[in-house]
Amino acid sequence: MAEKVIEAKKKGQKKSSEDYTYVGMVFHRLTRHKLAMVGAFMLIFILLFVFVGPLVWRANPNEQIEGLEGMFNVPSRAHPMGTDDYGRDVLARMFFGGRISLFIGFISAITSTLIGALVGLVAGYYGGWADDLLMRFTDAMLSIPTFPLLIALASVLGKGVWQIILVIVIFGWMVDARLVRGLVLSLKEQEYVEAAHAIGASANRIMWRHLFPNTLAVLIVSTTIGIGGAIIYEASISFLGFGVQAPFASWGNMLQNAQQFIWNSPRLIIYPGLAIFMTVLGFNFFGDGLRDAIDPKLKL
Amino acid sequence: MDNREVLVDIKNLRTFFYTEDGVVPAVDGIDLTIHRGEVVGLVGESGCGKSVTALSILRLIPNPPGKIIGGEIFFHGQDLLKKNEEEMRMIRGDKISMIFQEPMTSLNPVYTIGDQISEAITLHQKIDGAESKKRTIEMIHLVGIPEPERRFSQYPHEMSGGMRQRVMIAMALSSNPELLISDEATTALDVTIQAQILDLMRGLQKKLGMAILIITHNLAVVAEMAETISIAYAGKIVESASAKETFKSPRHPYTYGLLQSIPKFTEKKTNEPLPAIEGMVPSPYHMPKGCRFNPRCPFATEKCREEEPEILELTPGHLVRCFYPIES
Amino acid sequence: MRDYIIRRVLGMIPLILIVMIVSFGIFSLVPSPFAALSENPRIKKADIQRLKHAWGFDLKWYLRFFKWFSGVIRGDWGPSLLYPGSMARDVIARALPVTVRLMGIEFLVSLVIALPIGIISAVKQYSVTDYVVTVISFLGMSMPSFWLGLMMMMLFSVVLKRPDGITPLLPAGGIITPGLEDASFWVKFGDRAQYLVLPVFVLSFISIGGYARYMRSSMLEVIRQDYIRTARAKGVPERSVVNKHALRNAMIPIVTLVALSMPGIVGGAAITETIFNIPGMGRLIIAAEIKADYPTAMIGLLLISVLVIVFNLVADIVYAWVDPRIKYS
Repeated sequence: MAEKVIEAKKKGQKKSSEDYTYVGMVFHRLTRHKLAMVGAFMLIFILLFVFVGPLVWRANPNEQIEGLEGMFNVPSRAHPMGTDDYGRDVLARMFFGGRISLFIGFISAITSTLIGALVGLVAGYYGGWADDLLMRFTDAMLSIPTFPLLIALASVLGKGVWQIILVIVIFGWMVDARLVRGLVLSLKEQEYVEAAHAIGASANRIMWRHLFPNTLAVLIVSTTIGIGGAIIYEASISFLGFGVQAPFASWGNMLQNAQQFIWNSPRLIIYPGLAIFMTVLGFNFFGDGLRDAIDPKLKL
Repeated sequence: MDNREVLVDIKNLRTFFYTEDGVVPAVDGIDLTIHRGEVVGLVGESGCGKSVTALSILRLIPNPPGKIIGGEIFFHGQDLLKKNEEEMRMIRGDKISMIFQEPMTSLNPVYTIGDQISEAITLHQKIDGAESKKRTIEMIHLVGIPEPERRFSQYPHEMSGGMRQRVMIAMALSSNPELLISDEATTALDVTIQAQILDLMRGLQKKLGMAILIITHNLAVVAEMAETISIAYAGKIVESASAKETFKSPRHPYTYGLLQSIPKFTEKKTNEPLPAIEGMVPSPYHMPKGCRFNPRCPFATEKCREEEPEILELTPGHLVRCFYPIES
Repeated sequence: MRDYIIRRVLGMIPLILIVMIVSFGIFSLVPSPFAALSENPRIKKADIQRLKHAWGFDLKWYLRFFKWFSGVIRGDWGPSLLYPGSMARDVIARALPVTVRLMGIEFLVSLVIALPIGIISAVKQYSVTDYVVTVISFLGMSMPSFWLGLMMMMLFSVVLKRPDGITPLLPAGGIITPGLEDASFWVKFGDRAQYLVLPVFVLSFISIGGYARYMRSSMLEVIRQDYIRTARAKGVPERSVVNKHALRNAMIPIVTLVALSMPGIVGGAAITETIFNIPGMGRLIIAAEIKADYPTAMIGLLLISVLVIVFNLVADIVYAWVDPRIKYS
């Protein structure tokens, strides 16, 4: 195989699909997907901003400047993004708020994907009453309008980072469960599962060794796009006051009570909102490109 | 020699596919002649370019990624490749019709079969309404489907595969075309149904007199149906002769290999394995240098690996593309 | 077909039960709904006791559930705490039409724009149009609705003004200009319209992307099919291939999508209503939750969930009816 590749390169011939490994192929397709690369670029920028930023611009995100003069300052050298309604440095809050928002998004998405995958695997593999029961429950949960219940749960469980993650996960696993179950059902029919069965592999082994790796690709895409969704959820919950609490910043709670800012200081609405928008956009672009790269023909 | 008028004359057709992974020379210099009323077989393994040739005649190649980049396809002396879309549209379904391999998916599931056949009639003949319905029912009857009036209002999923293929044939022949292209039309059917459909086609050909281009990988099918056979390999024609000649004295090593690998009823029983052609069809991205068959040819020489052979007419009507054709 | 419907209707019942249990369960986790009430000096202790009894808070949780359950079924949805003196039922009845009007218009606008865009995108895949549509869809799907709402409000109420230089170009909230409640139909119509422009824009911008992509992928899926190739081989003109052969098949999943979006017309967009100060269901439920009016919130939630379940069923039935493969089998 390797010699063929070298040969092709020597003759200046383009490599064809037979000359790559699976991961190599996916990567190759991904790098050629324009939107995905734009998304990746945006994400890298955001990550650098949020993690490297505080090393460059050292300011305390929670330090308040007293008095009216401290509030709603216009960007200056002392405060490149100005100050907010409590006289705090906005740029610093953007850094740390970003970290929290990204953290919540990431953890929520991964957790709900894993839980959903577990439910889907079990339901799909065992079928029968287990499938029925799990899917009924999934359908019921899907019927409940997410947003009002998110608020309800948030008010019940209290306010804070971990509570938000829990809440988002409680409402996020269903989509992946359905997805994985469907995939497992179709994979189950394939011969290599029958073969594994025939040589006496246990249910557990078949599920984890054979079925799960094949759902991995789908799950990775789902997680990527899920991070975007989770970030928007967090922003919405925090906006209404149920999420991340003061003095901690998140991009969402920086927009809390933002209606008053329209008149006083519009940039306080633009900065965090734009950050959320660009982050989610980046994840969506990248996730979409990933989906196309993994299987250009598959309609997920 | 054939004194019938030449209906379709394909000269040096080249249809390439430009994909992300490289260029696929699906059809790379194919010549084919079809006379009025002649039944021609185009035989070859998967990927040899036979279906692409058929689609090229009707200019149905999906673009992207495919493109007809060279050659000429003469129909009644006019080059189809130079016609515009509107002119082609009038030929499709009217003068040249095509039926496809998968009867299960080739019919639109949301319209009745009566509707779909009538559509073909209305498009090309200036009749509609009750008149076209009448003609449609005649066609349904012609292809051997019982209770044509009842079937008119049925949907494709209410019919079996064999019956759907009959519907396809009815649709294709509704305007009495001069050429019917059958692209592996029986491949997806049960053997018994296959036989029925072939019988039907043979009967209709005698009755209506159209030419048929039968595309298949199944030699038994062409043995039954075709007058002339062309064998395709890796995008080129490697042998072309009358059916009788092809089976009696194949001259190209590939044809010879194909015929050898068919289990024969009359041969004495031996314990030897069925001879198969060594190797695999070349990848379209890595075509071998020289004669495309050389990696699998038991008789290949250095010349075969370096140069590509041209088509030669060994005996009248018998063409072979090989430097060392087998003695007859 | 009839058996299919009957089976599905029966299948709805366990779903609704589960939803009711989950709804009730979440709200019963709330520590004490009466704490806020007790602190309000205007509400007498005796009244609170009466309420407690009326809602069964003096009972064990499972009995309380049954009490609530039977009340809901009978149409007795309890009093509203948000608007003391009113019954929850009336409060909801007032909020419902507002949301339905907003969401109904938004839905129509979205579909009318999204479907043709999706079709064109699919037919001209990889063209500039397709690319632009894809990018705009992503923009819509990536924006938090409240941010877009706020930005629009800023633009049209703060930055852009009417010729007099003072009045905002478009109102920043509300649904009708005070004082016009008794005006003629057309005056009211025009007045209401200006209040709807921004919220409808915000909501549809976000959903058009999703619908357009859905239509696009449905259409792409259909255009790849063998029977489309057959139609072309028959000599069907390309326009008919798209409009007659392809569309009829591609619309089948869309019909399902429409049916599934119906509950959204009631559930609405809680956040958008909150920002634009629109007294609809979404805002009501959120406000109810914030102010601890749990009875109202629970009913609101339940209402929407039941609608979702019912419309899931409707979607399935419509799908079966529209696809001959299922109808005649």
